[in-house]
Amino acid sequence: MSSRELARSSNGGGPAQLADVLERVLDKGIVIAGDIRINLLDIELLTVKLRLLVASADKAREMGIDWWEGDPFLSRRAQGGELEDRLRRLEQAAGLRDGREEES
Amino acid sequence: MIGAAAQTAWYVYGVVRVSDARVAGVDAVEHGALAALVERVSLDEFGEDVLPERLNDRQWLEEKARAHEGVLVRAAVAAPVVPLRFGTIVRERDDVASLLARNEEPFERTLALVDGRWELGVKGWQSEPAVEDAGGPASGGPASEGAASGRAYLEQRRAERRRADVAAGERATVAAAAHERLLARAVDGVVNRPQPRELTGRDDAMILNGAYLVERDDDALGREVDSLNLEYGSRGYSFELTGPWPPHNFVVGDDAA
Repeated sequence: MSSRELARSSNGGGPAQLADVLERVLDKGIVIAGDIRINLLDIELLTVKLRLLVASADKAREMGIDWWEGDPFLSRRAQGGELEDRLRRLEQAAGLRDGREEES
Repeated sequence: MIGAAAQTAWYVYGVVRVSDARVAGVDAVEHGALAALVERVSLDEFGEDVLPERLNDRQWLEEKARAHEGVLVRAAVAAPVVPLRFGTIVRERDDVASLLARNEEPFERTLALVDGRWELGVKGWQSEPAVEDAGGPASGGPASEGAASGRAYLEQRRAERRRADVAAGERATVAAAAHERLLARAVDGVVNRPQPRELTGRDDAMILNGAYLVERDDDALGREVDSLNLEYGSRGYSFELTGPWPPHNFVVGDDAA
């Protein structure tokens, strides 16, 4: 076995990036129907990803990020003008939005 | 807090071979050749009525997601493990055994696939800020009303779009070439959606979000990442290895139920 260093993240061996962890545990792995119904669409934090859509759908498409188009839940939401507001509230609540917006 | 103790249920992290049941240091329920890595949880936390709220509590979600991942990582570095999706919960301990029985086939197939292997991640980044348009004028800013300036504005937008197209084409080409090379060094590989900056918290744009299943004692993927960095570094691209991860991206089959 080599001594290859497997950094768990770009933070010099710190804990893995939360986004990487969430992407894996919420979106991958075998899905088994349990007794407790857990609807991951309830996780509004994930819709933070929609920031890209709000910022520029074209840009997102360029990057190959067009997954919402096949998702009736998200594309229906995306029609509404309230989406942006909703996201802003969610992100603020989640502490995901930094001060960048404030300095306009 | 008054009255009966909180109701509990069984949270299932993943599935291992019965001989590896102790590998993650958590409770295990055995059934035949398989063992489920489990933990008793309170329905105060994981009950259907409270989950929607909990899931949107960022701190709670992070803590639980990391705990889920932590158990699976401990297992994965030592033994083949089948990661289950976050939040797989059954009421009774006996239900865990029937869950194993019901899904024996996909579990066995996944264990066979990941035996002696683990998942590594490779992220590709572009340091040049991707095409700046920040959505600003597209929404009809307070620009002037004049026809001439309107035309100039449209032309500017068109030129921006052309530049964006060229840049996007280059990014896609680099990402595809990198993935192909990485895949050649792995047992299997998948490309996931690049994460937006809002999730990465970085100024660099993610151009590749790949996951690769590799033999544990094989360094080839890491070396390929090094050579990608050498080759593409001068053009503003960088590649980063993450993991080892439990093989989330390489499970075979889902519950038919």
